[in-house]
Amino acid sequence: MNANNPLSSIRSQLPVIAVFAALLLVPPLFFDPSTTYISRRFITVMTFAIFAMALNIIFGETDQLILYMGGIAALGTYTTVLTAQHFAVSPWLTLFVGAFVSGVFGGLICYVAARRQFTVIVLAIVTFAFQMIIMEVIVGLRDITGGTTGIPFRDLDLPAVESALGIGPFAVQFYVLVGVFAVVFAVYTWLTNSKYGLAFAAIRQDEFAARATGIDVIRLKVFAGFLSTFIIGFVGPFYAQTTGIVIPGLFSFNGVDVLVLIILVLGGLRSRFGPLVGAAIVIYLDNLLSQFGQWRTVTFGLLLTFLFIYFQDGILPMAQTMYEEGGVRDRLAGLRSGE
Amino acid sequence: MLAEGLELLIDGLARGVILSLFGLGITLVFGLGEILNLLLGVFAVVAVIACSILLGTVPGLVFAGLIAVALVALFALVLDRTVISLVYREEGEDRILLGIFVTLGLSLFFEGLLFIYYPGGVFLDVGVPSITLAGASLTGSSVAVIVAAAVLFGLIYYFFNHTYLGIGTRTVIQDETGAVLCGIPPRKVQAIVFVLSAAIAGVAGVFYALDAEVTPASSFTLTSFAIMVSIVGGVDSISGTVAAGIVLGFIMTIAGALFGSYLATVTLFAAAIAVLIYKPEQIS
Repeated sequence: MNANNPLSSIRSQLPVIAVFAALLLVPPLFFDPSTTYISRRFITVMTFAIFAMALNIIFGETDQLILYMGGIAALGTYTTVLTAQHFAVSPWLTLFVGAFVSGVFGGLICYVAARRQFTVIVLAIVTFAFQMIIMEVIVGLRDITGGTTGIPFRDLDLPAVESALGIGPFAVQFYVLVGVFAVVFAVYTWLTNSKYGLAFAAIRQDEFAARATGIDVIRLKVFAGFLSTFIIGFVGPFYAQTTGIVIPGLFSFNGVDVLVLIILVLGGLRSRFGPLVGAAIVIYLDNLLSQFGQWRTVTFGLLLTFLFIYFQDGILPMAQTMYEEGGVRDRLAGLRSGE
Repeated sequence: MLAEGLELLIDGLARGVILSLFGLGITLVFGLGEILNLLLGVFAVVAVIACSILLGTVPGLVFAGLIAVALVALFALVLDRTVISLVYREEGEDRILLGIFVTLGLSLFFEGLLFIYYPGGVFLDVGVPSITLAGASLTGSSVAVIVAAAVLFGLIYYFFNHTYLGIGTRTVIQDETGAVLCGIPPRKVQAIVFVLSAAIAGVAGVFYALDAEVTPASSFTLTSFAIMVSIVGGVDSISGTVAAGIVLGFIMTIAGALFGSYLATVTLFAAAIAVLIYKPEQIS
């Protein structure tokens, strides 16, 4: 295909344009001012899609499995909220402090992991242990963090934008998250198409060979780790904003990490839209099952087991293969030419 | 002061041997088949619930506990023959990752079921009287757990050093191919050890429930404790795991008495992180 042809480059961008246009239409079509429930579900989809994008960068691209996404989100959120309270400034400013602290922490762990040559399972266990420690410390330091009672938090709003555009606070929050998603999406697309993408692929294939070709493996792994945990720490406060309270239960292993893993694998590792599709499916399922109490846990457990045994490649890549190999494309082309 | 110290010592030792047993549950299966069994806590909770139900119909905790552990062993055998076999088909790092996710999924599945059918907490309060020694009032259940665990460790030691199957198991841990050449079928040994580890977790669960309430949510906590103990012990060393459990039990008890219970848990996880950073090559 001719990559320089402007028409074909626009055509290849069509899905991206369509997806973002659809996302922008979500609030006017589905957000009901009388009930916040539906809007909050859509916001949760965006939040988890971004979490899954972050995991995609660190796990999908550099094979570093982290199991403390809940803890990192908590670190970002508590830093944001507590510094905002302490210095009496807007959380819109301290948001970046929280994200930076999360990113530095995540990058540091990845540095130690890369220096000490952790295998994927060692990093998984170390980060899981950190997840447990972060949870314990938040509950234990109740004088600072409010313990299990939590801290009320709704300050990440933009009243000026609400009144200017005449839309509700949840719609604004949704658009902010779509914006964050767009930035992460752009960064990920740029990363995978740049020399970094090639270097990541080399690291996945054979770390030692990658090192031999002059790739600074440690620096790249730390970079991926910093980027991912920065994103997770940045989105954490928005996640808490949706519930209106910062409590440790929000960031538990089962509440964040398990869901994000299912979302990423369902959507497909290293797939650009996989996280969004996976998040939509999983949050929809979650919504459907929430009225059945613990059957929700049972179903997700079964889904996780089943996915990993039979569908490790994910839904989007599978659909793509079917589209390409199953002749769907040829049939579509035939239809078009037969007009 | 001395009496207080003795009380702490006994409670710490009891907690330590329970941790050792849980750690062994992880060590045996990981050392042998490279599956990090996140289902371990479920086995413990199932044993505790079965035991509390049986207590109403059979006389005595020992009897009820033994039947409960046998039921858990059967449960583990069914799982091994079905889902876990699919994991063993993979090799190397693929098997490790698949093992984590499949057992994580299964543990959520069973935890959910336990929440639905047995949501309440179970506390096997059988009223072991406390023992007074040198002015110290020792927790009765702690003493009982230490004695029972000592017997169990003796049996485990005998199994791994003096029975054909036990020595065969150690052979598979050392070298799977070599074991096949010696006529030891690894998959069969793996199945037996998976069942054995579930039974050990069941016993540890019953011991644990003598002094603490167990709920379906405990399965997650117990599994995470077990993994940390196993790591500090060196992951594939049986004696290392037992020693690590006892040391960590003491540290956790003393840290808990001095600084409060949350720092006790933090100590456990921090110890595991420190060991992994120091010796990451032990899991590969």
